[in-house]
Amino acid sequence: MSYPPVINRPEKLTSVETPKKDALGRPIRVACVTCHSLRPDAPLPQSAGELREFHEGLRFTHGTLTCASCHVPGRVDQLSMADGRTIEMLDVIELCSQCHGQKRRAFDRGAHGGMMGYWDSSRGPKLRHNCVDCHDPHTPAFAGGQPVLRPNDRGLRQGGGH
Amino acid sequence: MNRHTQSYPRFLWTALRLSTDGSARFYVWMFLLTAVALVGVNAWAHQVAQGMELTGMTDHVSWGLYIANFTFIVGLAAGAVMMVIPAYLYDDREMHDVVIVGELLAIASIIMCLLFVTVDMGRPDRFWHIMPGIGRFNWPISMLTWDVLVLNGYLLINLHVVGYLIYMRFLGRTPDKRWYLPFVFLSIVWAVSIHTVTAFLYSGLGGRPFWNSALLAPRFIVSAFIAGPAFVIVLLQLVSRLMRLPATPGAIRTLSRVLRITVLVNLFMLASELFTIFYGGGSHAASGTYLLFGLHGKNGLVGWIWAAIALNVLSAVLLHLPASRSSYRLLNLGCALAFVGVWIEKGMGLIVPGFIPSTLHEVVEYVPSLAEWKITAGIWAFGLMVLTVGLKLALPVLKGELSASKTGSHADAGSAAE
Amino acid sequence: MDPKRRVTLKVLGATLGAGAFARALAPIWDWGKEQSLDEFLQKHYQELSKADLEQILRRLEAKTEKEYGKKVSIRDVRPQEGVEFGYALNLSVCIGCRRCAEACHIENNHDRSTNNSYIRVLEMKQGSLDLEHGNADYDHAVPAEGKFYLPVQCQQCDNAPCVDVCPVQATWKESDGIVVVDYNWCIGCRYCEAACPYHARRFNWKKPEIPADEVNPDQAYLSNRIRPQGVVEKCTFCLHRTREGKLPACLEACPTGARVFGNLLDPDSDIRWVLENKRVFILKEELGTRPRFFYFFDG
Repeated sequence: MSYPPVINRPEKLTSVETPKKDALGRPIRVACVTCHSLRPDAPLPQSAGELREFHEGLRFTHGTLTCASCHVPGRVDQLSMADGRTIEMLDVIELCSQCHGQKRRAFDRGAHGGMMGYWDSSRGPKLRHNCVDCHDPHTPAFAGGQPVLRPNDRGLRQGGGH
Repeated sequence: MNRHTQSYPRFLWTALRLSTDGSARFYVWMFLLTAVALVGVNAWAHQVAQGMELTGMTDHVSWGLYIANFTFIVGLAAGAVMMVIPAYLYDDREMHDVVIVGELLAIASIIMCLLFVTVDMGRPDRFWHIMPGIGRFNWPISMLTWDVLVLNGYLLINLHVVGYLIYMRFLGRTPDKRWYLPFVFLSIVWAVSIHTVTAFLYSGLGGRPFWNSALLAPRFIVSAFIAGPAFVIVLLQLVSRLMRLPATPGAIRTLSRVLRITVLVNLFMLASELFTIFYGGGSHAASGTYLLFGLHGKNGLVGWIWAAIALNVLSAVLLHLPASRSSYRLLNLGCALAFVGVWIEKGMGLIVPGFIPSTLHEVVEYVPSLAEWKITAGIWAFGLMVLTVGLKLALPVLKGELSASKTGSHADAGSAAE
Repeated sequence: MDPKRRVTLKVLGATLGAGAFARALAPIWDWGKEQSLDEFLQKHYQELSKADLEQILRRLEAKTEKEYGKKVSIRDVRPQEGVEFGYALNLSVCIGCRRCAEACHIENNHDRSTNNSYIRVLEMKQGSLDLEHGNADYDHAVPAEGKFYLPVQCQQCDNAPCVDVCPVQATWKESDGIVVVDYNWCIGCRYCEAACPYHARRFNWKKPEIPADEVNPDQAYLSNRIRPQGVVEKCTFCLHRTREGKLPACLEACPTGARVFGNLLDPDSDIRWVLENKRVFILKEELGTRPRFFYFFDG
């Protein structure tokens, strides 16, 4: 018996967060299709700066890509591959892999992207992160931040013990 | 044999009586030492109960004052052999008369060493784990197990030699050479081994470049032959004065000659070590840089090491002044400076900088805590008590004042000598 | 002096001395009351029968509950056949956030006041692997310009200096390569701390303090059970997790996926792929310690 790796499919692939909270204090999410089925489709803009209504303020720093490089007009649940095919939004990893082949190979061998769960596939699955769990596809550089757990061991910040 | 089962308890009883008899000065001295030792015992009890957070040690500098003193005093024990060698190998008659002083110093020193190791243990309640046969003794791989063997072995050898000689005199018999000479010669080799093994404790550690030097064992031996003779030179004068024994200028002269050579060799070796560290430079020089000049703005040992170097150089100069051959005052000053100089050089100057910077090159400094000073003073006080009692026991006996035939009529013989 | 009076005075002096000695040792007697005879007489881990061990684990659980106010389970987890662990760390992606150190802190029931962790992250100067340029005590946003980060933990050396120097065999290498400590056998001499070239060992300078609600109750004898005062501890690759097929806590916590863990004996494992496809190196290779912990850069 061998458990195959389970790759996460984050909610953000199919819904967006709203400022409203539910009874447990979690943000209420709204499926993408909720809006996109109500409004007529507009043509895709060339860049994030052209977004005036909805998604405004989206920062985009991902090379020279345009919106249409990945998104399909009128199909919010689809992504556009370089060869013209479309794939499910949920399979976004395949889209990323077109350019980031080295990372993909490393990802497939557990050497990129991290994981949780089991190293021993006979006992349980590896729970893999999705590309978009860690990288915002529009600004993919990993952010960093303030480090945690500053060392405070004996003697570190003075001359000796007591 | 049957005779011994009766005379040996009598011998021990006499020894107990003799070791507790003395003048007012003796009682004051012992009272003071007891007081200091008790302060140490109390500090140690707190350390065991509360944990070694009471010390100044850290995960960066994980050995401090205790192991520094341990290292130095192993040297003192080994240095005592500088009396045994002339006495037995070169038939120095005068040295032969007082050689027991060196053997007693060795005994007192080893007891102090064992105490310093004990107080350095986080779990002294688990002492039985390190006992061969009862615990799990990682011999021959761990150098510490070798140290346990050689230190206890050296203690036993010296206890046997000293005990045998005293007991024979007590019985009024001539000691049988077969019962002590082989042990005396064994003790000479063994003395070198205790300090070699102690050096190997450190020099075997590849991760500590400051210690990882083939010169460490020779340096230890040489500095031991400073500390030992320097201490004994002063001790012999004290013994003859306080115990009203004839002076021993010959023995002191022999020891001074040894000292004059070893102070120079020690300086030479220190210079060689420093040359090797600094000529190439690089990260391996970090400990040496920290020690001598400070590193990353931290310089806690700089004062210590320059004091040690100054003391060692000054003592070398003093001991080579022609006047030091005629003036005991000058000689004693030279001995005192050399003794303190080596104590610093081997402790704060060698054990501590081995840990600074740490193996990840973090510079965390070490300052001994009050508890460490108390415990250290306590052990020194106890060692001096052992030495005092030992000398009281040994000297009257070796002068022939006390023997089985005389015990009855001459009950207070010991009290004449304080 | 009259000999009789002298003897009386001596006996008096000896009595006073003995009394003062007992009084000076008082803190030890109080401490001793908290120690059990069973623990004092406990044999070395490798000499314990199954029944002995069972009893000891229950005793330790009861002791932990009494002293820390938390019900815990302490297991004995043995190495798996055919497994030797290896760990690799990608220095190109590590950002020095110390999440791994924090996960270790929580998982392994470390003392809270000292922020203790088996992982020390060094901020290094770009272009140099000289530890001399490292700093573990950084406290600014990471990754900082011109720096890279080098997390160091136990390298689980195949030729471990710490194991060699231990005078009582309280630390040894298990068949899966993990160097463990029997915390109930260690005498606290700290020779292993002096011998380790990677600053991987920690000494319990005092009894660890952990609030009851922060104690991780999933514990093992040889790994994360709360350590006694006065003994040495170290990273065990989270053997209570990894010997049951799970990943170590530090790996799961890593937000950049810098860490790769697995079975060196399995040719299809992640760790083997890294060793075969990346240019890996080990720390202080010249010391001959043969670590099972590897570092690499991308590309």
